[in-house]
Order: sequence, then structure tokens, then C-alpha cells
Amino acid sequence: MRQINRKLNRRQFLGSLGVSATALGAGALLIQPEKRAGASTAGAKKYAMVIDTNRCTCCHGCTIACLSENNVPDGKYRSWVKKIAKGRYPDTSFHFLPRLCNQCEDAPCLNLCPTGATYRTEEDGVVHVDREICVGCHVCIDACPYGARFFNPITNTADKCDFCYHRITAGVEPACVTACTGRARIFGDLNDPQSEIIKYLNAHSTQTIRADLDTRPKVHYVAADAAILGADYSAL
Amino acid sequence: MNEVIQHIHWINHGVALGYLIAFYLYFFALAEGTHIVSHLSWLYYRQDNYRPLEKVGSFLPFVILSLVSFFLIADLGHPERALTMSYNWNWTAPVAYGFYVVLLCIISYAFHSYYLFLPEMVVKAREGSVFAGLYKLLTGGLADGTADEIRQRHHGKERFWASTSVTMSIVGLIYLGFMLSSFKGRVAWNSAVMIFIFIGQGLSTGAAFLILFAQLKNALGSASASNFKDQDRYLSGLARFFKYALLVQALIWAIYLMQLKFVGQGGQAMINLLVSGPRSGQFWFLQVGAGLVLPFVLMLFKSGRDQWLLRVIAALAAMVGAFYGIANLFIGGQMLPMTSFQLEQVPYEPDKLIFAAIMVAAILLIFVLSYKMLPYENIQSEEA
Repeated sequence: MRQINRKLNRRQFLGSLGVSATALGAGALLIQPEKRAGASTAGAKKYAMVIDTNRCTCCHGCTIACLSENNVPDGKYRSWVKKIAKGRYPDTSFHFLPRLCNQCEDAPCLNLCPTGATYRTEEDGVVHVDREICVGCHVCIDACPYGARFFNPITNTADKCDFCYHRITAGVEPACVTACTGRARIFGDLNDPQSEIIKYLNAHSTQTIRADLDTRPKVHYVAADAAILGADYSAL
Repeated sequence: MNEVIQHIHWINHGVALGYLIAFYLYFFALAEGTHIVSHLSWLYYRQDNYRPLEKVGSFLPFVILSLVSFFLIADLGHPERALTMSYNWNWTAPVAYGFYVVLLCIISYAFHSYYLFLPEMVVKAREGSVFAGLYKLLTGGLADGTADEIRQRHHGKERFWASTSVTMSIVGLIYLGFMLSSFKGRVAWNSAVMIFIFIGQGLSTGAAFLILFAQLKNALGSASASNFKDQDRYLSGLARFFKYALLVQALIWAIYLMQLKFVGQGGQAMINLLVSGPRSGQFWFLQVGAGLVLPFVLMLFKSGRDQWLLRVIAALAAMVGAFYGIANLFIGGQMLPMTSFQLEQVPYEPDKLIFAAIMVAAILLIFVLSYKMLPYENIQSEEA
């Protein structure tokens, strides 16, 4: 038997190390599951919501409807209403801010999810959590600047509002929209010029939460008070 | 905005990543820093009798990194899916890179430690010492020549893995800072200073760790080793580096707090949280007092640096303080509310803390066992 005397010099070693690393990287890419839409939002539809805070009565109907529709665990919320009171008697005012996932066009949770379990559906721009891939690392919960995510102790994964995707894909409005007693929530497709949401957006001036972060939220607010939109650090 | 505002209904979100991950970040920075400091010192001294300290700075970080990775896994909602992070890979997420950074660090540390220990293991295996069977198994045969000749033969490989592992250590520290700074909603973390905080933290705790555990090695190791005196001289020199590393760490923290002052209400809230808020006790007494001032004062003069007991006290204090530095930054950063007016609460997770305590005990046990089982001392000094 011929003995092969093969000594590896440093150059060959580094070369083979480089080739191995490239092969490993390429292999990791190839065995990834079907790549999702990522940051692209150029789909046929672009679902969004406008919430007119003038119409909100803080009845928490949306909160309860969401809990019931999505089997949200006790103590966790996909949708809730923040409520503050401003001023001193007799000059006081109440302000309400219905909250949910903003379905951001440049979502920090999506960008920072290590496994790609958080993804955006190409056809309508809704941000989802794939419970089969999510490892439950909590990174997205920390990454969301709006506190819209929570850790679901039943599924052991991240959880959040997905505009009741099972309903909207069946042509039904999200549960919070249906349950809203004041008709404060208007849901629809931003790419449809005839939709109610487009008409409402054209007729009203709107705000988004933490616009400074440039995440381009798709939940817009009408007449929301500046004091309720952000965190109140002066009270800490 | 001086109106009276009452918050009537809101939702608290809590701190998502708790103390287990703070421990992970701390040990990660410590392991990387120890590795860097031990090799920088080797480049400075280039003496054979420095090698035992280089072994401490290479093998112990390998043990730490290998075991603290379980902290991350234990914190996952689905620990059984941990390995899917290797192929379900999101290019835009810095955390995704962490899997490979840690893995490459562990691999390069393992190879480097192996080549550092190889000559002594071969000679000891030939001599038929207590652990000859283990050394034979690890070295894969008995090579010819003295320890120096064997070391000379493997010099190229040893230096290659030394360079690779030091590069990976630097990458690791940069990764930690970069990862935290990528959370753009977190005012306390979203800063370029994060990278420097972890580098400063790594270097000071690395020097402290090396001082502490090299001293422990000398206390527990072979009584016949004659170069302990030289090692004591090196440790005294390292204490000087440690002193300046503490100064650099203090400077970086001062810059961090100053830049927070200029990033709006959130930055000011973080400063208040640290200096006068619920974390002020940990900040002033543990992070600044015990972690920076006490060790700096003890190591300020040569007379202090030359005394092993003072070195050990300073190193222990700096390591405890550094942990609270990480905890203040990491936990404190998550305590700032996103949309409400109340500080978020840290969840009480006794099961995870018990797990961390068990893992730290296991790491310490492995250190002590390795001092008894692995040939840290140069074979020449053993023979002398």
C-alpha cells in the first residue's frame, strides 16, 4: 500500500479553512426553509388600521374581543387600551389610546429575530410569528419599541397581534374592529384607493407612536394626545 | 408639558431577558477578556515561564464559554430547538451571528489549549505519571523528543490557533456590544459606546480573572514547580495592567453616562435609574465602589500589587462589580418603560438562578480538577 505523505502548510490550511467556511455558509443557506418575504412590503395588499381616538370610549370591548378570539393567556394582551387623565379639576380631560401591534413596515422585531420566525406575508404585509420555528429567545419582545409583544407561556413562543389573520383572510374584519362600540377602528387595504381606510386617512390628519424611530407603523391614530403616545419618563 | 397626568390604565410588559442572560453576557465578556489579556501579556513577555499563565488564560475561558452557552439554551422557550438557530438564520439579526461567534471561539480556544498543553502531556505520558492514560488518549501517541523539541515542532500550529483565538475573542467582545446597540427602541443600549463598554469590561475582568485563578493554580498546583516566583512577578505586572484597565472602564462608563444626557428624556431617565433610582445601590456601592474604586486603590501602588492577598481581593471585588455593571446596563435598560410611566419589573425566576448557580459551581469544580489533572507547569521547572 502506497503511503501518502501529505504535509499541510499554513497557506493550504488557510485555503482549506476558507473553502470549508464557505461550504458551511452555503450549506446553511441551502437547507434553510422557504425564505419568506423579509422586509419587502410590495405585495398586492397592505393591511393597516386607523384608530380615531375621538370615537373611543375606553369600553375595552376590543380588549375582551381579542382575548376571546385569539385564546390569549391570562395576564397577556394582544390589544389593550391605555387611559390617562390630564389637568386639574375643573380643567381635566381623559385620553384613550387603543394599542396593538403596529405591523411596522421596517419592523425591529423582524430584523432582530435570530431564526427568522418573525416574518411578513408578502401578499398583505402583516407581520407574523411562526410558532414552529420560534425558539422563544425573547429578543423580539425586547426589540419591539411599542411593547406590543409578549411571551406566550402556553406555546412557549413570542406572541402578538396579527390583525386576526384567520379572519381577514376569510374576508372578515379583525375581532377588535367588529367589537368596537364607537366605530373608532377602521381596518382596510392601503393599496385599494376605494377602501374606507384610504378615504379616512385622506380626510384626517394622523399620528403614529414613536415616529422618531422610523419604523413606519401601519396603525395610525387620529387626534391622539401627545402625552399618551409615548412613555412618560417624567413620572419615573 | 408641565401638565398633571394621571395614568389610569396601562399594561406593564416586564423585563423580557432576566438575570440568566445578564450572567451569560458577563461570563462571555470575562472569557473573551481573559483570553485577550493572557495573550497580550505573552506577546509582551515572550518568556517560557509565562506559559503556565497562558494556559490558564486559554483553557479556563474554553470551559466557561462551553458551559455558559447552556444559560442561553435554558432561557429559551423551546430549548430543544436551540440548534435550529444554526440554519434558520436571519441575516439582519446580530443575535443570529452569536451562534457562530461562540462556536468558533470555543473551537479555537480548544485547539489553542491543546497545543499549549501538548508537550508536557506527551512527556508526562511517557514518564508514566498518574494521569498518563489520559495524556496518551489526548495526545494520540508518544512523540519523540523533549518537551522543548515537541513545542518547537508544533510552534507554528500553536501560534496559528493563538492568533485565531485572540481574533475571535475580539470579535466576540465587539459582537456583544453590537448586539445590544442594535435594539433601536432601547435608549440605554442603542449606542456605539456599547462596544467599548464590553471591550473595557472584558479587559479589566479578564486581568482580574487571570490574577485570581493563576493564584489559585499556584495554591493548588504542583508543589515542586519552581517558577512560581516568576509567575508572581508576572501577576504583579498584570496587576498594573489591571489598574489601567479599571481606569479605562471608568472612563468609558463616564462617556456612556454623558452621552445618555444628550439623547432626550429616555437617556435622562436611564441616568436617574442608575444614579438615584432603584439600581442606584448596585451602581454606587457594587459597580463603582467595589468594582472600580476599591480595586484601583488596592492596585495603585507597587507595594499593593506585589502582595498576593491584596491582588486577590482587588480581583474578586472587580469581578463582582463588573457583574453589577452588566446587570445595571442590561436589566436597567429593560426596566425603562416603552409606553407607560412605570419602571418594568424584573421577573422572579428562582429556577433559572439555581441553574446558574449549579453551572457556576460546575465551572469552578472543573477549574480545580484541571489544576490537579492537567500539566500547567513547564516540564523544565517540574524537573528542576
